[in-house]
Amino acid sequence: MTILSVQNLDVLFNTDDGIITAVDDVSFDMKEGEVLGLVGESGSGKSVTAKSLMQLNPANTIYGERSNILLKNGDRELDVLALKKARDMVVVRGGSISMIFQEPMASFAPAITIGNQMVEQLMIHTKMTKRQAVELSVEMLERVGINEPKKRFYQYSFELSGGMRQRAMIAMALSTKPKILIADEPTTALDVTIQAQVLELMKDLVKEFGMAILFITHDLGVIAQVADRVSVMYLGRIVESGPVRRVLHAPAHPYTKGLLNALPKLDALDEPLTPVPGDIPSPLERPNGCVFHTRCPKAIVDLCNTSVPGSSNVGQKHIASCFAIENVCETV
Amino acid sequence: MMELVPGNCAERYIAFKNTQGQNITVEDIQAEERRLGLDRPFLVRSFSWMGDVFFKGEFGDSCILRLNINHLLSDKVWISLGISLAALLFSYLVAIPIGIYSAVSRNPIANNSVRLISYLGLALPSFLFALVIMLTTTIFFGESMAGLFSKEYRDAAWSFAKFMDFMTRAWLPILILGWAATAFALQTVRALMLDEIDKLYVTAASARGIYGRKLLWRYPGRHSLGPVINSIGFDLNRIFSELPIVALIMTLTEMGALLFDALAYSNDQQLAGAILVILTATIVIINFFTDIILALMDPRVRQGLIG
Repeated sequence: MTILSVQNLDVLFNTDDGIITAVDDVSFDMKEGEVLGLVGESGSGKSVTAKSLMQLNPANTIYGERSNILLKNGDRELDVLALKKARDMVVVRGGSISMIFQEPMASFAPAITIGNQMVEQLMIHTKMTKRQAVELSVEMLERVGINEPKKRFYQYSFELSGGMRQRAMIAMALSTKPKILIADEPTTALDVTIQAQVLELMKDLVKEFGMAILFITHDLGVIAQVADRVSVMYLGRIVESGPVRRVLHAPAHPYTKGLLNALPKLDALDEPLTPVPGDIPSPLERPNGCVFHTRCPKAIVDLCNTSVPGSSNVGQKHIASCFAIENVCETV
Repeated sequence: MMELVPGNCAERYIAFKNTQGQNITVEDIQAEERRLGLDRPFLVRSFSWMGDVFFKGEFGDSCILRLNINHLLSDKVWISLGISLAALLFSYLVAIPIGIYSAVSRNPIANNSVRLISYLGLALPSFLFALVIMLTTTIFFGESMAGLFSKEYRDAAWSFAKFMDFMTRAWLPILILGWAATAFALQTVRALMLDEIDKLYVTAASARGIYGRKLLWRYPGRHSLGPVINSIGFDLNRIFSELPIVALIMTLTEMGALLFDALAYSNDQQLAGAILVILTATIVIINFFTDIILALMDPRVRQGLIG
């Protein structure tokens, strides 16, 4: 069942240097119990896209007129972008959608205990008494594998280790039973063994709570481990999306191919790395036509630099936006 | 330090008498020195004075005025500390809310006027501010607003009526002294708040559905106050150093004016020393309390204390 539908999302920032396009015509759906990966380099607009789901972008953000973010809320649909007041957004923020961030240390307020921050959230979103909220919080801390949860409840974030903090963050995010969890590079700041534990925990929780996760990362290895579907973003556009195995094994877009080629290979350690040529253009000098044509090895002269490619179906719900794709399937 | 000034208490007292037309001989001076115990070595005198101050709260006699200093200062101490602490309280009560709101407000007119007023407060010396206010009140109201009491209460004993009279006049020096501190604290709060508000934990809190005043005060607000609390002692110090000058201009009968007098005119070591000890002790005590407040507010400071 589709619980969230993002349609033609445009996000612009009004800055001193002019208006910057951060997200350009992004559409995707999220289904119950599914992990959707959002991959891309820094500055590709993946975090901005995720934050748009809760209108968490800074005050100078302009959302496109044609953009819709439809969230299933009970038996009615809620357009998140139509909410104007912070009071109205409470149902979304921390209610239907929760978010965990890259740096668990920085996402807890340093001078408030972890327990108090958890209880505060529960008091906002549920009709629990304070005692019930405390009980549930301790229970959640225990559920995410934190030892001595009662003690941790009264501790501050700086008294916990990195992995423990991210677990506590997950416990807090899930305590209100959201339908969608946004995970913005949740394992980037953790070392590899802790990273594996946290990913395993998240996969378990998806099954247990039946929610959807929007998993943002630049790490294709992590995506291969957790995601069911993946969307690859470049300069604010989704250039390719599909089931995770298909996209990683048979990438159709030159950018996805470049990203996969750039990964160091364990069986050929002496070979030089093959980065995607060129640099990400400045957001103020956004290329015309296909945004990737300035770095694309397959760019077609007089076509890619003037027109924006539409989406082509390359089979099994696998879609790419590029003029230079062979093997386009006409039927779905 | 005080001892570096040439001449001692006896000589100055005698010289003072001399100007009043009495004939003084060397024997008179020596007799006076013995009476005051000035024939003892400097260190002995110094320690016995400090011992009296700390263990008995006894400051001894003024050098020139020949009066007991405790008696001389009594209610002036409380007036001075009252005015200074009120100025401090006033400055924080104004600066913290305005600082926090001006950091998040996007109203350019309000923002710029706050900035203008606080820069004026930083740039304008308080004695000038005092002079300007006295001048304008004299022109427009025909009364200078100087002094702390109306004529009829000046020498009266403390009563509720005298206290009310005091309050109707004391707000002006409180305002003048508090203004510069307010301006300073306002800029600090604003800058800290702008720093804090972009931090991830604030975004994370609003992602949990916390909004409005609760978000502002509990998250960035609370976390940006540490350095402000830290600066309370520093602000009080500044208020103390401005107090004598403002007191002099506004003819306030309080301790600061007395200090100025003792240092600049009569060279009354005993009196000046006593006042300085009181002011310094107040700053030390206030710093002690701000450290406690800081530890209560910030668990990271607490952890540093326990180790």
